[in-house]
This record gives sequence, structure tokens and C-alpha cells, in this order.
Amino acid sequence: MSNVILFNLTTVLFGVASALYLGALYAKNEKIAGFGTWACVLAAFVSTAALGLRWYESYQMGIGRIPVTNLYESLVFFAWAVNLFYLVVERKYGSRTFGAFVMPIAFFTMLFAIKNDSSIQPLVPALQSYWLHAHVITCFVGYAAFAVSAGAAVMYLMKARQEEAKISEGVTGLLPACRTLDDLVYRSIIWGFPFLTAGIITGAAWANYAWGTYWSWDPKETWSLIVWLVYAAFLHARITRGWHGKRAAVLSIVGFLATIMCYLGVNLVLSGLHSYGGS
Amino acid sequence: MTDANRVPSPMDRVWDFFTSVKLAIVTLIVIAVASIFGTVVEQNQPPEKYHQVYEDWAVALMDRINLFDMYHAWWFLLLLVLFTVNLTCCTLDRFPKVLKIVRNPRTKLDENLEKTLSLADRWKRKGALADWSAKYVEGLSSAFAKPRVTEEGGEVHLYAETGVASRFGVYVTHLSIIIIFLGAILGNLLGFKGYVNIPEGESVSQVPVRGGARVQDLGFTVLCNSFRVETYPSGQPKAYISDLSILEGGREVLRKKDVVVNDPLQYKGIWFYQSSYGQAGGARARLTVARPDGTPAGTLSLPPGEPVKIEGYGIVRGMNYDQNHEGHGPALQVAVEKPGQPQATFWLFQGRGDLDRLRKDSLSFSFEGLNAKLYTGLQVAKDPGVNIVWVGCALMVIGIIMAFFLSHQRVWVRLAQGQDGRVEVVLAGSASRNRLAFEKKFERIQTGVKAVGQ
Repeated sequence: MSNVILFNLTTVLFGVASALYLGALYAKNEKIAGFGTWACVLAAFVSTAALGLRWYESYQMGIGRIPVTNLYESLVFFAWAVNLFYLVVERKYGSRTFGAFVMPIAFFTMLFAIKNDSSIQPLVPALQSYWLHAHVITCFVGYAAFAVSAGAAVMYLMKARQEEAKISEGVTGLLPACRTLDDLVYRSIIWGFPFLTAGIITGAAWANYAWGTYWSWDPKETWSLIVWLVYAAFLHARITRGWHGKRAAVLSIVGFLATIMCYLGVNLVLSGLHSYGGS
Repeated sequence: MTDANRVPSPMDRVWDFFTSVKLAIVTLIVIAVASIFGTVVEQNQPPEKYHQVYEDWAVALMDRINLFDMYHAWWFLLLLVLFTVNLTCCTLDRFPKVLKIVRNPRTKLDENLEKTLSLADRWKRKGALADWSAKYVEGLSSAFAKPRVTEEGGEVHLYAETGVASRFGVYVTHLSIIIIFLGAILGNLLGFKGYVNIPEGESVSQVPVRGGARVQDLGFTVLCNSFRVETYPSGQPKAYISDLSILEGGREVLRKKDVVVNDPLQYKGIWFYQSSYGQAGGARARLTVARPDGTPAGTLSLPPGEPVKIEGYGIVRGMNYDQNHEGHGPALQVAVEKPGQPQATFWLFQGRGDLDRLRKDSLSFSFEGLNAKLYTGLQVAKDPGVNIVWVGCALMVIGIIMAFFLSHQRVWVRLAQGQDGRVEVVLAGSASRNRLAFEKKFERIQTGVKAVGQ
């Protein structure tokens, strides 16, 4: 199917972008990173076209539905969102160094996606709901924001260590100032948090409409709550003396690890109501 | 709050403990970590299952700390209570102060306030104080927001603010959590959750309640008219469809022919959700009956082996079903007993009513196929607290957006007559959040205000 070809091309572009950003960092050459941005922009167009085409192809097959209903689709959608979120951040902060820490996340997500079944399957009865759209989109925009935040948090910890040691050489020398990184960690989360909240709420509303229970402590639900609690802790840590800076950055990374667990771990390791990783 | 020169009383210490944000962070993390256990250990399984997975001593230990139903364990509920108390105390402690700040803003930029503001600019202008203050009122209005003017002791203070609502975002969010909890408690106290199987053609007026021996009276009757499964061409299930009726006093008051997953039936606050299905009892054979001239005389539904009486004819019984009888396809063996005659048994090939007419009986039968009788499995729920929960959820989203996407930005201008006859101007500002962005905005305000009258 042609959408899969476009997604494969997207994967290559993400790989190229990651390599260029990392290369730019090590070669200390801003120009190389500029090419990385172009790869990202191109990937944004290609992946958006791929999503649209996949949606269209599902209608061609007579089972038209939004392309966010199984593991493959959710992974490519997540990578799509990470890339877009990253491009906005790059533009807003005027720094391309983030790319080296964020784009590999999109690249590895696509690599993982390719290993999964990419065929378009019809929707099982449980997924036939308008809540599906709102639930999946809000969740994944939230996840993408958390991915960017975690990337920035890693940079923050590297930079903070370097600032403490008062060295300005090496790769970390090119990283933006701690203050900027801390700001990005925080600002990504304040975008991700309302989306995650909306994702949990739309999930609860959907569960209530499908099963008559808005909360049943299913592992997926519980892990989404864990993610929410970690970021809630982060947001409170930011305003508490002795908890901002490094500890907040660590919480951002822990939050993203919990997000990965919620997204993939629950399906691959635990049992529950969300079917897409079950096979 | 305790005065600095007073030894805090035990009561103050308790209050300080419960109003601390550190407690909030620790509680959030502890609840998060504790929640993990319940996702690793499957909840509410029969004891045999746990014994298969874990050693006996481990099962005993886990049972002791309620790990098999941990989200309802006393210690987990205690954590939630601690979380709620902390949340409430923090709100009660801080909300009045914020309200005070909002109601009585510091409209004068005195020296104490000036020292706390990192964003400030000072300059001097030749001319009259009144002229410049009028000009800067206008300048601040166009660069930021319309200021309040306070004149005191020969000084003129301008104060302008935007995004006051952001101060309340936190409290709206906190309140929303308490509202959600209240809705959940109300639903638990006044509602019920149950599950029931209804075979096609049958009805129920009571539902067994989940996780208990109790049976809930519905106050009306639910009839399952029929159930069917639709499939995609590939054979994957496309829809599970129940045709349900609500009966009151034996009369149908509501019918929904397509109760499917994600589209429940609701009556008097009780919801019925399509949840499962299965085979109910044996299959029934479908027969059409005709007179010798071929005119139809009705239909028959034969349960396996049970006699069905036809007035003025006799008793018909479905005996055996063969998927491929003597190589001619599916067939049903029936036995007919007429008064005063020996029982006759014969085979009816599916869809071949013409063959049975050769029997030259007063009625002939045509076997149309087997009808497997199905039951529909319905989740049944009544939750009078659910709308309160949704109100809480809506407030939570609104509160979070208010808290994170609005910023309480304040700008002060002080004008005073200086020693040298010139007007001394101080411009200062602060923002409750997103200070980095406000710095840029402050620069624009600075440029805008300074440019006035130049």
C-alpha cells in the first residue's frame, strides 16, 4: 500500500535528520543542522500525506476510519506529532541543538512501527466510536510534548553538570543555557499536561459510554494516572524551593518513561482492555 | 502562617504540614508508585489463580496488605484522603491571600515593591508631572492595558494588569478534583453496576450486582427481542446488535432495535451496554407450513426433541439434524403424531418444501434452517454521580488552561518630581508565570511607553 511507502520514506527522513542534528553537534557546524531542519520539514509533509493517504485508502477498502486504531498507526501518529511539536519548538527557541535529542525519538518510534503489521484492518465493534478520535489525538499530542520535554531534560542535566564543573568545551558547550532548557522542559509539559488530562477524560467518557464505568483501575487507565501524577508532581516541584532545576528535570524524564510504559509497556507486558498491542 | 517571633504551636505545625507543597509532591509520587503494584498483580482474581502464580507465603502476605484489591484497600484510600486533605488545606491557606491580592492590588510602586521587581527601568523627562502622567496613562494603555491612577504625596502611580484569572486556575483545578471525588463517592453510594445475560425472546426485571450476592430490582422489565452479529467480508466481527424493549406493566414503553457497543440503551437512569453474547440452549429448527395447494399456513419453530402441537393436525417434533443427509445437504428429521395414528418420521431437506408435498398430507413442511438461539450479555449501570464527575472534568481542563496559559502580568509606573526639576519615571513589571516570555513583552512595553512624548 502506498501509504506504507510514504511512512517508510518518513522513517528515512527522520533518520537523516537525526544524523544531521547529531553530526552538527559533534562537528559544531550550525549549517549541517540547517539541513536537518529541511529533512524534518520534508518529513512533516511526507508523513502528513501518508496519514491522509492511509485514511483515504481505508475508505477505498470500504472500512473508512481514522488511521489511529492499532499499534502501527499509533506509533506513526506519535512520531508525526513529535516531529511537528519539535519544529514548533525549534522555531520558537531559535536553536537547532534540540533536534539531536528529540528527532532520534521519532526515528526509533518509526523503526519500531515498521516491525509491526501495517495492513489496514476494519474496526472491531469496541473501537467504533467518535470518542476514538478525541481520545487518541489528545493522548498522542500529550505524549509528543512529553517526548520533547524529556529530550530537553536530558540536555538540561548534561548542561547543568557542565555548568557546575565550569567547562564550556565539548558538545555541551553548544547546548542552550540551563535557563532556556529548563524553560523548554517546563513549557513542553504545560502543553502536554492539559492534553493528557483531556486524553484521560475523553477515555473515561468513552469507557462510560461503552461499558458504563468511567474508571475501573484497568492497567492502562492506572498507568495514565501514574503519568498524570508524575507530571502533577513536576508542576508542583517547579514552584517549590529545592525541587526545581535538576529534580524537576529528573521528574520529566521519569514522566516520559512512565508514558512509554503506559503507551507500550501495558500492552506488551500487562493485560488489559486496550487491544492494539495484544498480538 | 506563623509570626517569625512566635514559637509555632502544635496546631500551627499540623497546619504547616498539611499546607505544604512538598507534602503534595511526596503524596503524588507515593500514589503513583503504589498504583504500579495493582497493574502488575492482576486484581480481583479467584484465589486459585494467585496460588498458581505465586508461592503460598507470598499469596498470604499480599492478601494481608490487600494487594489483590489494592485500589479499594484501606491504605490506598488513606493515601487518597491524605491527598484530598492536603489539597483542601493548601487551597484554604492560599486562596484568601490570592483573593486579597486580586481585590486589593498594590497599585503603588513603593520602594519595597520596587526592590522585589527584577524588570525595571528608570528615566527622567523635562516638563510637568501632570503632563507626563497623562501621556504615560495613554502610552501604557496602548502598550499594555489601561492603568489605574493613584496620586499620593506628590507622586503619581500608574498600575495596569492582565490575566488576573490565571491566579484562580490552580484553585479551579484543585476544586475540580474534589468535585470528581464527590461525584465518584455519590455514584458508589447511590448507584450500582451489574451484568446480565438475556436469551432472545426472554426478559429480566432484576440484575445481579457486580462483586456481590445482591440482586438489583430494575423497577421495569427488559426484553431481548433478538440478537445478531454482523461480520465484515473477512469474517471479523463488525457489530454486535441487540434489539431490546423496556416493558412496564407488561406494556412496551421503549424499544431500541440497535443497541450496539458504544451505543447503549437508557431508561430511568439505568443504562444497558452491549457487552457480550453466546449460545442460549439448543438450536431451533425453522419450518414453514403449507396446505396441499401450496398456500402458506404459518411457521413453526422446533426446539430439539420437544413436541409442538398444531391444532387440528397433530404433534410435530424435531428429532435429528444432519448437516449433509445422504449427500443431499442439510436436513431435519421430524416425527409427526396424529390422533389415532402411529408416529411417522421422515427427513426434510433444507429449502425443498416441494419434496414434502409428495407425502400427500393435509399439511406439508419446508425446513428453512436452524436458528441458534443466542443470549445477549449486558452491562447494567446506574450512576447518579457521573454528571458531577463530568462537571469536575470540564472544570479541570478549564482550570489547567487558566493556570498555564494565562499569566497575571502587572506593570507599574511611578512619576515623581526630581531634585533637578525633571520628572523621574520608574517603570517596573512582573508576571506570575512564563517570565521569559514576559521579559520580551516588557521590553516592548518599555519601548512603547518611553517613546510617548519623545
